[in-house]
Amino acid sequence: MTIWNKARAARDARLRAGGRIAKGKIVQAADATALLEAVIEPGDRVCLEGDNQKQADLLARALAAVDVAKVHDLHMVQSGIVLPEHLDLFDSGIAKRLDYAFSGPQSTRIARMLFGGKIELGAVHTYLELFARYFVDLTPNVALIVAVAADRDGNLYTGANTEDTPTVVEATAFKDGVVVAQVNEIVDSLPRVDIPGDRVNFVIKSDKPFYVEPLFTRDPGAITETQILTAMLAIKGIYAPYGIKRLNHGIGFNTAAIELLLPTYGERLGLRGKIATRFALNPHPTLIPAIESGWVEQIHSFGGEVGMEDYIRARSDIYFTGIDGSLRSNRAICQTAGLYACDMFIGSTLQIDLQGNSSTVTTQRIAGFGGAPNMGSDSHGRRHPSAPWLMAGKEADPDGAPALRRGRKLVVQIVETFGDKNVPTFVEKLDAIELADKLKLELAPVMVYADDVTHVVTEAGIANLLLCRSKEEREQAIRGVAGYTDVGRGRDAKMVQQLRERGVVRWPEDLGIDPLDADRSLLAARSIEDLVRWSGGLYAAPSRFRNW
Amino acid sequence: MNPPTDGRRQSPSWYESAARDRARLLLDAGTFAEFLGPEAREMSPHLGIFDLPRQFDDGIVVGRGKLAGTPVFVAAQEGRFMGGAFGEVHGAKLVGLLRAARDASRDGGTMPVLILFDTGGVRLQEANVGELAIGEVMRAVIEARRAGAKVIGLVGGRAGCYGGGGLIAGTCSALAVSEHGRIAVSGPEVIETNRGVEEFDSKDRSLVWRTMGGKHRRLLGGAELFVDDTIDAFRAAAIALIERAPAFDLAMLKAEQARLAERLKRFGSCADGLDVWKQAGVDDPAKVPGMPADEFIALAQHIGEGRHDAR
Repeated sequence: MTIWNKARAARDARLRAGGRIAKGKIVQAADATALLEAVIEPGDRVCLEGDNQKQADLLARALAAVDVAKVHDLHMVQSGIVLPEHLDLFDSGIAKRLDYAFSGPQSTRIARMLFGGKIELGAVHTYLELFARYFVDLTPNVALIVAVAADRDGNLYTGANTEDTPTVVEATAFKDGVVVAQVNEIVDSLPRVDIPGDRVNFVIKSDKPFYVEPLFTRDPGAITETQILTAMLAIKGIYAPYGIKRLNHGIGFNTAAIELLLPTYGERLGLRGKIATRFALNPHPTLIPAIESGWVEQIHSFGGEVGMEDYIRARSDIYFTGIDGSLRSNRAICQTAGLYACDMFIGSTLQIDLQGNSSTVTTQRIAGFGGAPNMGSDSHGRRHPSAPWLMAGKEADPDGAPALRRGRKLVVQIVETFGDKNVPTFVEKLDAIELADKLKLELAPVMVYADDVTHVVTEAGIANLLLCRSKEEREQAIRGVAGYTDVGRGRDAKMVQQLRERGVVRWPEDLGIDPLDADRSLLAARSIEDLVRWSGGLYAAPSRFRNW
Repeated sequence: MNPPTDGRRQSPSWYESAARDRARLLLDAGTFAEFLGPEAREMSPHLGIFDLPRQFDDGIVVGRGKLAGTPVFVAAQEGRFMGGAFGEVHGAKLVGLLRAARDASRDGGTMPVLILFDTGGVRLQEANVGELAIGEVMRAVIEARRAGAKVIGLVGGRAGCYGGGGLIAGTCSALAVSEHGRIAVSGPEVIETNRGVEEFDSKDRSLVWRTMGGKHRRLLGGAELFVDDTIDAFRAAAIALIERAPAFDLAMLKAEQARLAERLKRFGSCADGLDVWKQAGVDDPAKVPGMPADEFIALAQHIGEGRHDAR
């Protein structure tokens, strides 16, 4: 006779094994490793919550300390590979296979381990893609998650950094998995419930608060005049003509410059209320001056940002907050918002090729994708019209029947022609292709595909790829804004001139912008201290960003 | 409630300004004349070996001009070029200026020198000649002071005043520092690398500022004046310090030795800047870092070290 509830029975057995170490749902921190040895079985799929910002660090240390004879060959399925322990697991044989999305701080070591064969790689995903697979073929057997506080029933309060937790718990708890949470404190009553307790099996109070990275804080003091020029070009040459109101910004200094130019340069151009009013965006401190100057109506966030808690609480008209007043973020939902409800993504990258494919991978570093490809792609599932979307669609296909013509999301790459250490951003061939060869990957890790990119902005100008009618025009448009890089110097001057006449390529003078006007005095805030002042003292800058 | 939105303050920010602008705007309008300017192309002979970009002025601007009508020499380091680090040419330009001040002062007049520090110390790519440059500059400062020249250090740039720059600052007649200015020999990262993160967490910037920052140096007596981050404030400080800096003689050296011994006795057991400030008589040390410049200047005047013959 067929047994239809094998997984549930197995889950119950794990819970009984874990229950011997717990008192109710509560497990002592010292027993964390014993708990994991009890509830995890060899070969399990495990999500060790490593998000973009917050980290289940106690559980990571506990998992790295298990007896490899008891727990081994795990298949890790988590969005972020951030802590050293995340990779130690593979060194020791506790884990074997990996499916992930982002590996910022571990990008060099992960590359080395992939080359060394220490990690069996499934795929590098985008966030939404990995989350989607949690519900189809990468459902975790065990989720090790992190929250700010729990009550004795296991209800969880995540605070500002809810991030991936609801998605991970949804997939695990409702498919016979075990959910273990580390929390900073166990309290009698929570400020709000972010995760209902009946989805959480074990709770461990950590000896110290979980690690969270202020990943979205950009010091205005480090913004260069070149970046300011790219920001001026973007505002005047893209935001204004398309009337972009709903958008997502990447985390680079170019977009930080845009945020800081809105109340100054943008104001001077009379654009307040006409552009940049609604964001899918983390709580960037550099957006404070624009918010305070009345530019921004609403922001939904993937995660929180260290130091922004009190400011957000005091500006609940702008942010999504819970009944306790603090930010509620949610990565999966915000990624969906960015994909379907924003008319533009603008962000930076490390390499762009002659057709506009871009990548942040170099042969030494595999940083993964995170959310940029979700934000930076044109959703074919979109059906609602908006002026910028229709205008971009028309530029791409001027002769199509209007009622049948898809709009286009603007996907803008904003870069300097030479990046860090004077390495050219524009290349004939992406390093990602060489990497794919070396690792024998079927797909090169491309961040944003050429057919999704609509504009490239550099200090040399703007290339509007929507207006290109052939592969050759596209290449010359990109060469036309590639400045003094080899790619830029290899341009066909005559053809670029024709593209300028058609408005496909626009240099600063074509937009009435004098590069000498790109001055740091244009920034609404020129230091972290200025941001604190703009916030009326509500923004508590993390110590590492202070210069006072 | 809103801070400066358009960046137009009464006087430009010292921190934000480039070296040449600092030198030019500090002096009486139209009086600054540069020696060995970029057109002379006196560049580092070493950086090319490492395929590193060079600059036509090797990251330091030297020249002469007038300050409140009085002739002065001025040297300004550019913190945005290799962290304002001392290389061979960079150092030689400063040594030459100091020797010119010595000679001018020896001939009966006095020629004050303003050193606008903005440096991480020796340029590692020019290690030995860079170290030699520091030694030569220190000697040249002492020789100039012995001849009667006042050598005033102004610290408020991006790179602070570290390494050999911190040593040279110690030989100056007097120092003025702003909040952003930091004065020390070993930088935060160097300490962390050598002694471990438990000893000094270089990423804890408020710790860095409590240990090396302008307010701490002022309260500890390491800098004579604390100033707001504007060109005007540094100008006023330079004028005041030229006026009041002590002569360089045996009596002053003895007084300075006594002052330093006293400082060690008073603060030697303190573990943190906050303890030092408390010991120095600040009622609420935790408030010091966030204190606006004018408020802090009043506080420093109130509790700062008394006037004495030491520097």
